[in-house]
Amino acid sequence: MGERVVVGMSGGVDSALAAALLVERGYDVLGVYMRNWTADLPGFTCPWATDLADAERVAVGLGIDLEVWDYEAEYKREVVDHLVDCYQHGITPNPDVICNEKIKFGLFAERALSRGADYIATGHYARTVPGTQVVPGTEVVPGTNRVPGTDRVPGTSGTTGRLLRAADEHKDQTYFLWRVPGTVLSRTLFPIGDIPDKGTVREMARERGIEVAGKKDSTGICFIGDIGIRQFLLSQLDSQPGDIIDHETGERIGRHDGAFLYTVGQRRGLGIGGGPVRYVVRTDTKAGIVYVTSDRECPLLWMRELHLRDTHWIAGHAPRPGHYEIRTRHTRALVGAMVEHGQGATAHLVLDRREPAIAPGQSVVVYDGLECLGGGILERC
Amino acid sequence: METHAIDIYLDHAAATPVDARVLAAMLPYFTERFDNPSAPYARGRAAKQALEDARGRLARAIGAKPANVTLTAGATEANNLAFGCVDGPVAVSAIEHESIMAIVEAREHATIPVEPDGMVTPAAVQGALTPRTELVSIALANGEIGTVQPLRAISDVVRAERRRRLDAGEETPLYLHTDATQAAGLLHVDVSSTGADLVTLSAAKIYGPKQVGLLWARDGIALRPLVLGGGQEHGLRGGTENVAGAVGFACALELAIGERVEECKRLSALRDTMQRTLVERFPDAVVSGPRKEARRLPHLLHISFPGLEARRLVIALDRRGVSVGTGSACAASKMRTSRTLQAIGLDRSIADGSLRITLGRPTTEEQVRDAVDIIGDVVAAEYARVAAQHDWSEDRGNHHG
Repeated sequence: MGERVVVGMSGGVDSALAAALLVERGYDVLGVYMRNWTADLPGFTCPWATDLADAERVAVGLGIDLEVWDYEAEYKREVVDHLVDCYQHGITPNPDVICNEKIKFGLFAERALSRGADYIATGHYARTVPGTQVVPGTEVVPGTNRVPGTDRVPGTSGTTGRLLRAADEHKDQTYFLWRVPGTVLSRTLFPIGDIPDKGTVREMARERGIEVAGKKDSTGICFIGDIGIRQFLLSQLDSQPGDIIDHETGERIGRHDGAFLYTVGQRRGLGIGGGPVRYVVRTDTKAGIVYVTSDRECPLLWMRELHLRDTHWIAGHAPRPGHYEIRTRHTRALVGAMVEHGQGATAHLVLDRREPAIAPGQSVVVYDGLECLGGGILERC
Repeated sequence: METHAIDIYLDHAAATPVDARVLAAMLPYFTERFDNPSAPYARGRAAKQALEDARGRLARAIGAKPANVTLTAGATEANNLAFGCVDGPVAVSAIEHESIMAIVEAREHATIPVEPDGMVTPAAVQGALTPRTELVSIALANGEIGTVQPLRAISDVVRAERRRRLDAGEETPLYLHTDATQAAGLLHVDVSSTGADLVTLSAAKIYGPKQVGLLWARDGIALRPLVLGGGQEHGLRGGTENVAGAVGFACALELAIGERVEECKRLSALRDTMQRTLVERFPDAVVSGPRKEARRLPHLLHISFPGLEARRLVIALDRRGVSVGTGSACAASKMRTSRTLQAIGLDRSIADGSLRITLGRPTTEEQVRDAVDIIGDVVAAEYARVAAQHDWSEDRGNHHG
């Protein structure tokens, strides 16, 4: 038997093919279905039983064991409660980023490695390459030149892995992986990260008789499925009706059920009938006011300078100040930016060109070529 | 859905195909005889007549009066209707169907323990009764391990308690309900010989349509409607009657009764072959349910392969074209250990490897032969896989040291 891998299997085609490729490559593979928390609301049918059944069918077809690891309580605490708390304060987090950090590349990885795994694997569209051996106790002066492959991280042991974007730039998921520590990435395999596109993934799955080859991609926030964030938040938080105010004129133009339901740039669900298209430019959850504009050129709808907090650098320390590329949303193109780190875990970015504004709390991820260096969380303006 | 060269269906306790004769009897009621039985004109009266004819045939088939038969949308509804006849505490066996368990969870109830073969003894029923108990419910036959209950003897216990209350001047009612869904077509079901006061039956398990069932209630039992509407079914179930369903149900029940003795002989012989062959090949396999033929559903084999996971076996068998169940469909989909298997005290390591195989009218000798080979191969392969794999067991530590 080859090296041991614990692969997270969600019941979808990506992780199914990942598991199949690992088996083909001669690894000794254990499949694990991670059970996370799901909302129990009227009209919401939880897909997890179906997903588990799909994962089981794949595992049986591959002749590997499948275990269910229950992270319901941890997921609720780390991801869901955090999300609700953020929204309540007018901050819009990326739950997938937190889930990857805390659950998949946190608790799951820990348990897999303690069970004797050499590696963990997932069906993420991303790639890893080995970093350097870290020598415990060696000092690195913060802010020294980052030379890829030669960095040393003080106070940790083991090897840091480096994170690269997937071969499929369109599907690349490194935007959601920026908080994963390099020490975990060094023990991580992304078997489908080299595959050029999703069509090929499906084709390869079909060739291998994987039954979920045609299963549709999951969308939205996994634990609330189709019900939508609005209905979910209203089930968790008391509604706090307030005014919708025109940012330019100060005029009251409508009412809302809670400022926490709105996010910067949003233009749907404002409930303002007729008139021009309006965009949310700012929410004040304390005063319960949602500010909107009908002017696409309103400066609050654009950003050029960004302040990040809670930065995380995969190599273990901040990159040398300089010009990099950044991504401000999973689906957005990369944009050039000067990156400079500040006091503590903060950074200051100046973009080459303006970008549509994103909400405070969203992830901003920094790249050097193909390599994802890490990132930070957008500070409130 | 994948297509297989082999397609062997062995889960007749979960669903049965509608018999061609039943379908033929139903079809006219979907098209030319579609009328509303409440309509005042001749066509409507004809539909009403067809409905009442069907009710009459159903009643006759179970030795009952038509007026005591309420047609429902399936057995689950009939069970709900039955439990609505009283408000007080109820007593049910530990191996009742999910629909019964769900009903009693919300009210005061006693759970009657069962023997290791699933039997509910009259003594156990006696032990669960209190002067306040108002309803006892025991399925005539269990759909998971196939135990046929001594309902007549149980009804004697219920009757004795009723007698005692009468003599003592106590006015608390006490009724016996039985869900005969899994027994119909396989056992003689006659309302008076069961000794029950309320009987549930379903068309879906006897080669009739799904969502068609009935509740028989003895004279003098006051049922309360669950579905309010236009006063249909003597005001006990609103909504335009399912005439086609009733006609199909009557036809299916008559056919099942007519063919019962022959069919049961055929099925039990096939089942015995299957059991013998599998147990010979896997001597560690555990067969659950009563040993005595008369106490056992003839078409059912509940067999456990210790150390294996039934869910994997079901998937592997599915891939080879054989459909079997792991037990009650509801329990299986919720992925917890079957309540029935817990109640009979089956060890978890055995229970987890349980298949419920149920033969039916379309099952042939050749299918059984093929199925036994495939099940044997799949079980052997799974045992080999489990033996070959290394131990991923908990807490063995990182082997990097």
